[in-house]
Amino acid sequence: MRRTTLGLIIVFALIAAACVAFGAYFSYVTLINAHRGVIEARCGIAAQRVVDVAEKAASLGIALPAQQALTAVLERETRVEDAIRSMDLTDEHGIVLYSSEPGRVGLDTTRDNERGLTRPVRNDIGQSLGRVVVRYDTKILTDGASALASDLRRISLPTLLWAGAATLVIGLLLAALLQRAVRRAAEPHLWPPAARAALASVEEAHRTSQSPPAGATGGGAA
Amino acid sequence: MIGLRGGISIAIVIILCSALAVIGWGAEQAAQRTIAPEIVAKANSVGRAAADLVQRAAAVGVPFDRLVGVNRYFDDLRAANIEFTQISLNAAGGKELARSGEASPGGDAPRVFVPVEDADGHRLGDVMIVVDPSVVSQQVGAVLVDVAFIGIVALLVALELVALVVGTRGLESLVAVERRLKALKRGVLSRQEGGAGAAGDLILPIDRHVETLAERHLALRAEAERRGDGEAIARLDEIEVRTGLGRVQAAESEAAIAVRPALFLFMLAEELTRPFLPRAAQALGVPAGFGPDLSASLPIVAFMAVVALCQVPFASLSERLGRRPGFLAGAALAAAGYVVSAISPHYDVFLAARVATAVGYALVFVSAQGHVVDLSSGAARSAALAVFVRAIMVASLCGPPIGGVIADRLGPGVAFGTSAGLALVALLVARLTLPAAERHRSVANVGLADLKAAARAPGLMSLLLGCAFPAKFLFAALCFLLVPLELQREGFSSAAIGRFQMIYPVLMVIGVPFFAALADRFSARAGFVVAGGLVSGIGAMAVLLHPSVALIVVALVALGWGQAMSIASQSALVADTATSMGAGRAAGVLGLFRLVERSGNAAGPASAGFLLSTLGFASATGFLGAVAVAGALLFALSGRRIFVHHSRRPSSAAASEGSSA
Repeated sequence: MRRTTLGLIIVFALIAAACVAFGAYFSYVTLINAHRGVIEARCGIAAQRVVDVAEKAASLGIALPAQQALTAVLERETRVEDAIRSMDLTDEHGIVLYSSEPGRVGLDTTRDNERGLTRPVRNDIGQSLGRVVVRYDTKILTDGASALASDLRRISLPTLLWAGAATLVIGLLLAALLQRAVRRAAEPHLWPPAARAALASVEEAHRTSQSPPAGATGGGAA
Repeated sequence: MIGLRGGISIAIVIILCSALAVIGWGAEQAAQRTIAPEIVAKANSVGRAAADLVQRAAAVGVPFDRLVGVNRYFDDLRAANIEFTQISLNAAGGKELARSGEASPGGDAPRVFVPVEDADGHRLGDVMIVVDPSVVSQQVGAVLVDVAFIGIVALLVALELVALVVGTRGLESLVAVERRLKALKRGVLSRQEGGAGAAGDLILPIDRHVETLAERHLALRAEAERRGDGEAIARLDEIEVRTGLGRVQAAESEAAIAVRPALFLFMLAEELTRPFLPRAAQALGVPAGFGPDLSASLPIVAFMAVVALCQVPFASLSERLGRRPGFLAGAALAAAGYVVSAISPHYDVFLAARVATAVGYALVFVSAQGHVVDLSSGAARSAALAVFVRAIMVASLCGPPIGGVIADRLGPGVAFGTSAGLALVALLVARLTLPAAERHRSVANVGLADLKAAARAPGLMSLLLGCAFPAKFLFAALCFLLVPLELQREGFSSAAIGRFQMIYPVLMVIGVPFFAALADRFSARAGFVVAGGLVSGIGAMAVLLHPSVALIVVALVALGWGQAMSIASQSALVADTATSMGAGRAAGVLGLFRLVERSGNAAGPASAGFLLSTLGFASATGFLGAVAVAGALLFALSGRRIFVHHSRRPSSAAASEGSSA
């Protein structure tokens, strides 16, 4: 019985702790995703500005390889946005045509292991002409992730311990109350009020239902 | 007295909710420190892009204060950046030239100002963006709500599987102690049936006192009878009724306890699929000649129809195979069905997988029910069936929110895979807990002739067609198809849809015992059946007034409340009819009841799929509600008296399968 009670309490305490841990982890993942989303949205805005320029020139009949001014546009956007490390404009096969880092021109980005944020460049009828590829500083992401993890850890660990401990304490308290109730139930004078009242009414009914004393039947003869 | 399990459960719910609230607060603080500055930087980028566009317009000669289309441009920006509550273009003098959204006045939300300049560098005005960083906190809040639901559901799952965790003997001893203490708390002095497990020493003193009183009571009554003392006999009988002295309180059926964990796990596997099944079916592509709504409904219809049709033949199959082999075979087949559902890229294969799952489901259901019926009798059978139904109801309560969260975060394939895993775990648990019963070679089962004879029972068909069929028809249509599809259209996640689907079982769990007791007290079972049909039907019809999430909730609440009112009374009326038909024909009545209920389960989604594609959500729901109302009225007018007490048998939901398929 004691082992069962303890087993139950430990199982329930583990459930409580596991749920708190899940909650903290899911919160962390949500915050990380939100953080990444904000950073990528910022870089995406810069990429979209380059796309707008390239598409406008293309609509005027200037092919991408002839849009020499794009190098300056890429350099300007990279300077303006702190998070961006470099920006490329590739053709539809992934070959870098222009870049904020001149050394990258001519590279094949399909063989590039480092994946960046991309935005497509299309002509007026929606055909793909190429892509703007933004490589942002992943340190911003890792710094943000570690700051978020540290903040959440500071609040989650004590909460997790508290939840597990509180469940254990309440469980042990309830078990002690149960044990006390069992001890008291062994003594009818310590039974709960409803049971004592029932017992009293049973005793009363039994007393009044017993056979009358032998003398009582002829009691009125005199 | 709530008992150890109940007490810890309540404590955990409170602890969990408060702990998650603390984590939510911590997450908001972390977001304010780390993410809010990034959102402000993003607002600066967006502001620069907008200012650049305005400057270009100014550069080509468009007067700054007569720009057109700026409001729409700002609307698009806000739609793409939900953290921005307001974007404005203000002239240098402060005059507002364009605006999208409205920040709450006097708030301390961060504001970003990006100057707009002409070609000479003179400031023309500003683009102002008001940022609302609490959007991230709202996302965290939504995640924590998911986690809270998972926690509470995990608790319910733990309570269902507690016998597996602490062992049947350990649980038996805890139950034995708690039952005796609860009885004393209520002033009940009856003997308690059932094993004491390891708690023999603890409960012995209590049992000895009660036993001594009962023996003395019996002796006194015998003595009073011997001497013909009517007054004393009446007094002793009255005290016996009042305190339960000398009576025996039935314990939970061992057969039901044995099958409960396995059945719960298996039912949980199917219930996981409820919130995302229509969406998953649609995602596989629409077959030729089908609209998206019909393609979503067909797998549900096929499942329900197969379960309905297999019910009668599988009763004899499961007896011939043996209950345990029947359960194991059904669980294995269903698990295979879930695996194929998870990996199938084609609609036809998916449909076939759902049919295989349905065959397995029907075999498991019939085998588990047969196990309980085989190993119980009389009043204990009702109690055992009630435990059986409770396991199914708790599964229908726990499954949808968990399935929704898994489908949202890991995809429907993983959710189907989880169902397969649960079905296999159920198989293993059944193998460990169910006894290897004997096979029966020649068994008499319900046949067509029995069903025909049952259909001639007075008043039965009006009850079945007027109330039992429409109840399941409306339930399956609304909960399994219409509500998930409509909420999906409204943009709700599978997890949120799963939470909506919890409304019905929660109300059933709370309401069924309450309304069963009321119906018995007022001797008005037929009245409660009619009222329940009307409440659930009118609730669905209310959606016609103004299709909205609020009225969908109203419809679900009315459905749960209405069916809680009617289901126990309806089952009791059917059981009364079965009893009145005599022992030989009772099985036919119950078989017909099952068949009609399950036909409603299959017909509901089929009709809903058709109506949804032709009339739309509100009209389809209203129409199905009208069917339930018409059925209830038909039953009321059929001649069965509304206020009549049929038997002393207490109403219970044991004769129905609650929300299950």
